Amino acid sequence: MLELRIAGRSFSQPVLGEVFATIERGDRICLLGPSGIGKTTLLNAIAGLDKTLSAEAIIGREALRVGYLFQEHRLLPWRTLTANLQLVGATAEEAEAHLASVGLKGYGHYLPDQLSLGMARRAALARCLAVKPDLLLLDEPFASLDPVMAGELKTLIAGILDTDPGMAMICVTHDGGDAEILANRLWYLDGKPARLQWDDRVGEPGLIDSLLGRLRQLDPADS
Amino acid sequence: MSQSSDRPPAWSYWVVLPSFVLLWAVVAWLLKSPLLPTPLNVLDTLMRESASGELWHHLGATLGRVVVAFILAMLLGTAIGVVMGRFRTTNALFDPMLVLLLNLPALVTIILMYVWFGLVEVAAVMAVVINKVPNVAVTVREGARSLDYRLEEMATVYGFTRWQRFREVWVPQLFPYLMAATRGGLALIWKIVLVVELLGRSSGVGFQLHMAFQVFDVAAILAYSLAFIAVVQLIELAILQPLERRSSRWRQPEVAHA
Repeated sequence: MLELRIAGRSFSQPVLGEVFATIERGDRICLLGPSGIGKTTLLNAIAGLDKTLSAEAIIGREALRVGYLFQEHRLLPWRTLTANLQLVGATAEEAEAHLASVGLKGYGHYLPDQLSLGMARRAALARCLAVKPDLLLLDEPFASLDPVMAGELKTLIAGILDTDPGMAMICVTHDGGDAEILANRLWYLDGKPARLQWDDRVGEPGLIDSLLGRLRQLDPADS
Repeated sequence: MSQSSDRPPAWSYWVVLPSFVLLWAVVAWLLKSPLLPTPLNVLDTLMRESASGELWHHLGATLGRVVVAFILAMLLGTAIGVVMGRFRTTNALFDPMLVLLLNLPALVTIILMYVWFGLVEVAAVMAVVINKVPNVAVTVREGARSLDYRLEEMATVYGFTRWQRFREVWVPQLFPYLMAATRGGLALIWKIVLVVELLGRSSGVGFQLHMAFQVFDVAAILAYSLAFIAVVQLIELAILQPLERRSSRWRQPEVAHA
């Protein structure tokens, strides 16, 4: 449903090199790689935020509804949660339902900055759902959450993906462990400029373990 | 941007201002000069001018000019400021003009407008607008430069319309700057309007001050000044402060936990 044909960039030191991949419905991709390698850059490119890319670089995005969970919540701080969800097209009832589905039932009249970090991130996730996304982009959704909250959010996201098998997901993470729960496909981004080093379907058991092993060898500081 | 927290407590106004009036009364009583009337004289003049309707006529004329000039200057200055803050080439084109206009004495603009367009209302208002627009533009430009790119990206991803982006993303971020421009604007505009009236209009507080000056009627000068200070304070209390409170409510919310 989405084809990436990112072929390096013209300016002197491009972050992204060649990235060729096709994303199908139901793909649950975990995007791994060392810090600062360009994972968020790739996610932004897929979301259409990279103005330097030519129109042919990302094929099929116009037809897709994209929900993007940024690292920060990026909800409008002067609007309530309900109003934030309504701004992306949800009705009041739908907004309430989406908030309830991320465990924020009854919080519709709260302002984003009244929420804790974990709650705000779930509210932002509810906004992703409010656009009825074909493609869910998650940028380090578990960063700076305590292990319990991170675990809850992981279960929540896995549940959301299970209820809509047609939805595709790309989730940036440092932690290979996230991939074990969420992913059926792994991307590993590395190099300067960054390319997709591996693009593996997760099928047989043990593949993630072996990938993680290779990751640790490559980048011991990160594990 | 919260100016209310820097304010001295309310009682200081109730102590300092009456003390000042008392001091004034004592000095005026000691001097017994027509050049420094007592507070009672001034109050008397104020009542007389008010009763005859003169005060209201001239206050109204001045206020009308202030309002028209203020609205025009804010609209124009905001538009220029936003464009300058967002686009480098526009900034490069307008910035030298801005520096020029910011350093141009208000009196020069007023005289030029009267010389070129005659002693007419349009010239008077235009002189005030030209004096104010650069200040608004500079203030709003700062705001436009500091617009949060993360919210811009969010608006792009979620397909906000132009109107939504303007109303929901830009205006709330620009609001503190617009308020600053408004406050500075009113203070500056009403002073310039008085000069404009003094130099070339036959109505308004400035005109009355001119007349009073010619016959050294200090009581009238003080009476009209007091009336105008009262009006400006009323605008501050009745319009500006409630507006500011209303739109900064989201800034310091108490935090929920779950």
